[in-house]
Amino acid sequence: MDFLMLLISTGLVSGAAYGLIAMGFALVYKSTGVVNFAQGEIVMLTAYIAFSIANGLHLSFVPLVLVTIPISMLIGLVLERIFIRPMLGEPVFAIVMATVGLAVILRSATIMIWGSEPFNFTAGMSTAVIKLGGIPFYPAQLYLMAALGMVVLAIWLFLRFSRYGIAMRAVAANETAALLTGVSVNQVHALAWMLSSGIAAVAGLLFAANFKLAPDIWFQGLKSFPAVILGGMDSVTGAALGGLIIGLIENLSQGYIGEGMREIAGFIVIILVLMIRPYGLFGSRDIERV
Amino acid sequence: MLALNNIQVLYDKSIEAVRDVSLEVPAGAIVALLGSNGAGKSTILKAISGVLGQEDGEITSGVIHLEGNAISGETPRAIIQHGLLQVPEGRALFATLTVEENLLMGGFTRTRAETAEELERVYTLFPRVHERRTQTAGYLSGGEQQMVAIGRALMGRPRLLMLDEPSLGLAPQIVDVIFEAILGLNHNTGLTVLLVEQNAQLALQVSSYGYIIENGRIVLDGKAEKLRANDDVQEFYLGFAGGARKSMRDVKHYKRRKRWLS
Ligand SMILES: Nc1ncnc2c1ncn2[C@@H]1O[C@H](COP(=O)(O)OP(=O)(O)OP(=O)(O)O)[C@@H](O)[C@H]1O
Ligand SMILES: [Mg+2]
Repeated sequence: MDFLMLLISTGLVSGAAYGLIAMGFALVYKSTGVVNFAQGEIVMLTAYIAFSIANGLHLSFVPLVLVTIPISMLIGLVLERIFIRPMLGEPVFAIVMATVGLAVILRSATIMIWGSEPFNFTAGMSTAVIKLGGIPFYPAQLYLMAALGMVVLAIWLFLRFSRYGIAMRAVAANETAALLTGVSVNQVHALAWMLSSGIAAVAGLLFAANFKLAPDIWFQGLKSFPAVILGGMDSVTGAALGGLIIGLIENLSQGYIGEGMREIAGFIVIILVLMIRPYGLFGSRDIERV
Repeated sequence: MLALNNIQVLYDKSIEAVRDVSLEVPAGAIVALLGSNGAGKSTILKAISGVLGQEDGEITSGVIHLEGNAISGETPRAIIQHGLLQVPEGRALFATLTVEENLLMGGFTRTRAETAEELERVYTLFPRVHERRTQTAGYLSGGEQQMVAIGRALMGRPRLLMLDEPSLGLAPQIVDVIFEAILGLNHNTGLTVLLVEQNAQLALQVSSYGYIIENGRIVLDGKAEKLRANDDVQEFYLGFAGGARKSMRDVKHYKRRKRWLS
């Protein structure tokens, strides 16, 4: 029983990280039709930026997050302007390739600036264990799960009620019709990149605080793909739930089936989902913009 | 109010969809633009709204004036803010959004207060839309979708409303409701209308002036009653003769030959 609870709790923690990263993917995919292969690298880069800010300003966790998010959003805006905007009108495939190139650039730039040795990074959090219902948690783990909940709520409210949130869904539904209502599609694309970079920062900062700050954080981007596909590519809240489910499946299969399952469980799920329900659990059925 | 001068449109820098089109829409009028499939009607509306770029299309020559100012080349948003709104072909609703969200999007360029006011007006104009306001737009019937599409355009406070085949695929009673609404707006608020239709019968009843376009060119224009009385229009667009549909160009050709022979 204790073993099961432990697997579930660690599963939810790593699932929360997948969920946050997957939300960033889904947000950009939903409004631009592009799978951003650099999402994991943006998570990595913003984690390092948070690390430098934390060291420079000695901030505790909440102020650190509040400073890191806007800086990361600005980075998202700049990356979109430099690498994606000039490709407007090119085939989606070409733009996706540009994100692959961007990924490589961000990876090397990060190693050039911060080196390849891992750092310990507490992100201004205490490391004293907290017991919740008998299960021990580090504060970083609890913050990670809480962050997923808050980001989901914030994004849901934004997409549901704000002028630009509705515009973002409108652009996803029919780009030309959105232009005919006076929406600037460019602005919406830029906004999607900003928001997904902001979310990436939350994910990166908390992932680094839970594990280590190392350049291989980018790999979490790929590891979050099963979550995006399970949630349904264009469903932002679905991606979050997909993350939690993948985290649970990975940990439970690791615990009960055997060592090594953690690495492949998610990708087995991808294959199953693509065979049975290609639009994911929450995605729209007619996804034709890959 | 709106004037197109010698407009040429190319898609993909090579396909000429519209050639040398000039037309005029006077303030307060309802002007019809008639033509069969592929004639270039929608292309003209897209050119006016500035959204040709979405399909790799471009105005390659000519100019569009609104009240004397050239608007060709402006962004779609700027064109909307001049009061030029379009109800696109096939309705093009945001299918995954609710009816009310579709309408709110229509007010994207307007202030919150204006949007709230306009929303009330649309609901009064189309009570059916009000009943459906919380439903997902993609699941409405065709007639309801057309009402939402018109409502969405009205939310942008048009001075000139362009409608692309609003009667397409709708039952006659629904078409009546929609055309009554449009005529009402024209009559009561002075809304100027550019009406694109394949249904010439209907369009020439409600409009005061008409243009007939074929293969990207205007082949005939005139007062609506004149066009209604024109033998060729009767034969080829109003379906009086009932014979095989020839094109206006064939008619001209035929007439020329007739003159030649006589
Ligand atoms: N995106 C595009 N790329 C290339 N050619 C196009 C494109 N859109 C339209 N065309 C061509 O331009 C011409 C005019 O098309 P348009 O859609 O304006 O006609 P229409 O009069 O609106 O027809 P319908 O009554 O069928 O809606 C057609 O020959 C069409 O094949
Ligand atoms: Mg058309």
